[in-house]
Amino acid sequence: MEQDNKDNINAHFDDDEKQLWEALGKIVTPPPSTEVKTRFYAMLDTYINEVESQKTTVFEQSLHYLKSIFTYKPAYNWAYAMVLISIGSLIGYFSGNMIGKFSNNQAINSQADVKKLASEVQEMKQIMMLSMLENPMATERLKAVSYTQELNNVDDQVIDALLTTLNFDQNENVRLVTLEALIQLANNPKVREGLVQSLLKQESPLMQVALADAMVKLQEKRSVKQFKKLLQKENLNEAVKGKIEKTIKVLS
Amino acid sequence: MGWPNKNLQYFCNLSIFVKFSLSNNQKHLIFSLEALTDNTLMLGVKAGQLDKMGLLFERYHRVLFAFLYHSTGQAAQSEDLVQTVFYRMLKYRHTFLGNGEFRTWMYHLARNVLNDSIRKNHRMVYQADVTLMSEKTVSTPAADIQLEKSQAIEMLHTALAKLSSDHREVLVLSRFQELSYQEIAEILQTSEGNIKVKVHRAMKELKHIYLKLEDGTRQ
Repeated sequence: MEQDNKDNINAHFDDDEKQLWEALGKIVTPPPSTEVKTRFYAMLDTYINEVESQKTTVFEQSLHYLKSIFTYKPAYNWAYAMVLISIGSLIGYFSGNMIGKFSNNQAINSQADVKKLASEVQEMKQIMMLSMLENPMATERLKAVSYTQELNNVDDQVIDALLTTLNFDQNENVRLVTLEALIQLANNPKVREGLVQSLLKQESPLMQVALADAMVKLQEKRSVKQFKKLLQKENLNEAVKGKIEKTIKVLS
Repeated sequence: MGWPNKNLQYFCNLSIFVKFSLSNNQKHLIFSLEALTDNTLMLGVKAGQLDKMGLLFERYHRVLFAFLYHSTGQAAQSEDLVQTVFYRMLKYRHTFLGNGEFRTWMYHLARNVLNDSIRKNHRMVYQADVTLMSEKTVSTPAADIQLEKSQAIEMLHTALAKLSSDHREVLVLSRFQELSYQEIAEILQTSEGNIKVKVHRAMKELKHIYLKLEDGTRQ
């Protein structure tokens, strides 16, 4: 191969060039001094040591890098300022959110508290009303009946108490006020039923007339039957009789 | 046991045959040679066995020195440059991929080192090492013919010094390093034909300069 190479080269040359080519071959290359070797091995040694020391100090390097990040550099003042501002605004944003949530929670809590308190007050009123209805003083009982208008949710217990008062209270005024109160609660079917049943239980003409007016007002047609029964009663007041007949006409 | 692949069977038979037909020493030689090719050594260096660079140094520092010496004409500087080339081999060991010849890669680095040093000191041009030449003439016997010969060689040295750097480079690579055109083409990253033309032109230029020098001495 090498011989070919040479032949190839020589083929293009003239005689002078061939001679020169041969002469070039005779130029002796001086050997490198022995120092080259020593220097090379010294270099190789230091290089290997360097590489190994680099390996061991990867941790130190990263530590140094971290340190360099956190050391103060005047050139980065703007950057520091920006970082501080952004951190501040982030903290502000999140803490604002937290406070908002917290206050919301508080509001919800307080709302629940108010609701609870209100229902407790209602309960208290109800209990107070029920106990007042049993009071021997008529004025106290009147007060109690008037309290029913302040109650938001009237339960069966209250309605029962009111109907009992309507039917059996000795004082006529109390019964009248109770009737007024029950008319307010006429949406409740139990109240309507109670009012209709109450017709035959009333002895006082005043109450009978008031009930007749109430039935007309509530357009309670089931009461017609009761009125007819009432008409058959003996010693019925004449005025009441006329009133009941009128009422029956209106309702039927 | 059936063979999954006929080619595999053939290959195994062949390798068994080869193994049995070699003596133990020969086998050892083959394996150690394989482990010590330039490429495997350099790949070893790349993988972290840096001390393997010593073997490559033993193989190539003379060749490299010769290349640099004929390119610069200065022994001391060439020794420095040899050092630099081997340092760069260590530093840039990751750029050796192993798909080409180690020698090609080495010459690449050497040329870069050479160009860098030329760029660094613009004044540095090829200078024949006077002390070395004089030492050589002193050491030769004082016979007339030999003196004449050595004078002719000295003149050729001077002519080489006056050659343009890229022409000198191809001559150094082809004549002193005795590389094939193909290898030179790989190192200089051109075609083989291009190198052929370049060598021819370099020889023409050299002849021109040499004849001029000869005329000068005659006068």
